[in-house]
Amino acid sequence: MIRSGTVDIAFWMFSAGSVVAAWLVFRTDSMVRAAYWLLASFAGVGALMVLLNARFLGLVLVLMMAGEMTIMAVFMVMFMMNPAGLNPMTMVHQHRTAKIAGVFAFAGLALVGLVADFPDRPADARRDPTSDLGRELLGDSMLVFETAGVTLLATMIGAIAIASKRGRYGDAEQGSAPPALEEKPPEPAGMEH
Amino acid sequence: MRWSSPLGAVVLVAGVLSAGAYVVAVLDVALGRLTAAGHLRLRHALRQPLDETALLLLTRPSRTERPDAQAWALAPALLGAMAAAAVATVPLGRGIAVADVADGIVLFGAAMAMVMVAVYLHGWSANSPMPLLGGYRFIALALSYEMPLALVLIAAALPAESLSVGAIVASQHDLWNVVRQPLGLPLYLIAGAGLAFWGPLDTADGPDLAGGTTAEVSGPSRVAWELARRFVLVAVAVMGAAVFLGGWQGPMLPGPAWMALKTLVLLAGLVWMAHRVARVRLERFVVVAWTVLIPLALVDVFVSGAIAL
Repeated sequence: MIRSGTVDIAFWMFSAGSVVAAWLVFRTDSMVRAAYWLLASFAGVGALMVLLNARFLGLVLVLMMAGEMTIMAVFMVMFMMNPAGLNPMTMVHQHRTAKIAGVFAFAGLALVGLVADFPDRPADARRDPTSDLGRELLGDSMLVFETAGVTLLATMIGAIAIASKRGRYGDAEQGSAPPALEEKPPEPAGMEH
Repeated sequence: MRWSSPLGAVVLVAGVLSAGAYVVAVLDVALGRLTAAGHLRLRHALRQPLDETALLLLTRPSRTERPDAQAWALAPALLGAMAAAAVATVPLGRGIAVADVADGIVLFGAAMAMVMVAVYLHGWSANSPMPLLGGYRFIALALSYEMPLALVLIAAALPAESLSVGAIVASQHDLWNVVRQPLGLPLYLIAGAGLAFWGPLDTADGPDLAGGTTAEVSGPSRVAWELARRFVLVAVAVMGAAVFLGGWQGPMLPGPAWMALKTLVLLAGLVWMAHRVARVRLERFVVVAWTVLIPLALVDVFVSGAIAL
């Protein structure tokens, strides 16, 4: 078994790393870098969950976030019309609102941390948290879990229906011809109907 | 030596990965020659990878205009580290494992999901068009192979009733998963080729993009990248041998020998596929993955689950 001193050092390393990475999300000037600093922050949180013996949840967090942050970066690049996301751009906007919200969020969380009466019940080391989680998800919490799952599935099918090549806005290749180089470009091919 | 001690872990994982990468390089030269010329010169195949590596190491590192230098340098390290983490979960013999943890197959999945981050960063951070296109190609590829990969691994974990790789190996004592779940290994190898952007699925670093994410990389960092990519292929083969071919179990020979033999068979299959199967256009693979491979993988999960009940 790992000694508790090692666990303490690892805990502080991953906590500090997560906080610094989360701060760097807003200090960098690129959407891709911001997305991957956020991933680094999540990976630190995943490591903390592993240290708390929630191994499955911690690993799944890293597994899901690796793909999700990449997809988020691609979507941000697509929406921002910033070719490839290579151009520098600021990651902070609405400074006054952001500052007020930040101060309130920090004060609220700090208050909870100082005032809350955290439970002190050491869990039985012989219990398997992964199988407990499985029984919970397919037992008492099944309705909540399945409702969220089916809702997300419906959202995904809807997104595919909108975005697919033969989607509700017509064929994706129609009307997407590049503009000509003259002063006044003619109607792009495929727009006449 | 205890394999879970820091020194033992480094020796075991680094040994497996380096030996595997060299075997891949030799097989690549030998099978390539066999395919093209109909004969193989073993001595040439044994030397060629070393010569090429030495030549690459002496090449001057290339530079681009305003790259993301840190991400560019760290991408090969991330790729190699994820391959090492994946190998660490696999027992290579009875009790010879660095970290045969209770959620080993999930750890493997998490490490392999980070491959997407490493490849995309490698392409993006060069600040150059061809590598960037390679990075985007890999995202499309990864989003297509990840579901079949995850599903066949879940199916393999069902008879073991455990997510530990050691338990999955032990569950194949009477019957290997390659027989029990005939859909598993072929789907796994297709996904594995995508994972290492290898063989017919190597479009992310493909020659049609002047090398894709490697188009602007030369010198030692090119060596690091090519090594890390082969490490991923080795990790795929090691995990495939453990999960589908019964791992270290087998008559007469000791466990590690069986493991090495089975890994070698899978590596030879993957390298052979790279030389015999034509490169697949990415749009076509995405359609096939979502309409054929994922439904097949789902059938694999449902049938395996029904049998395990």
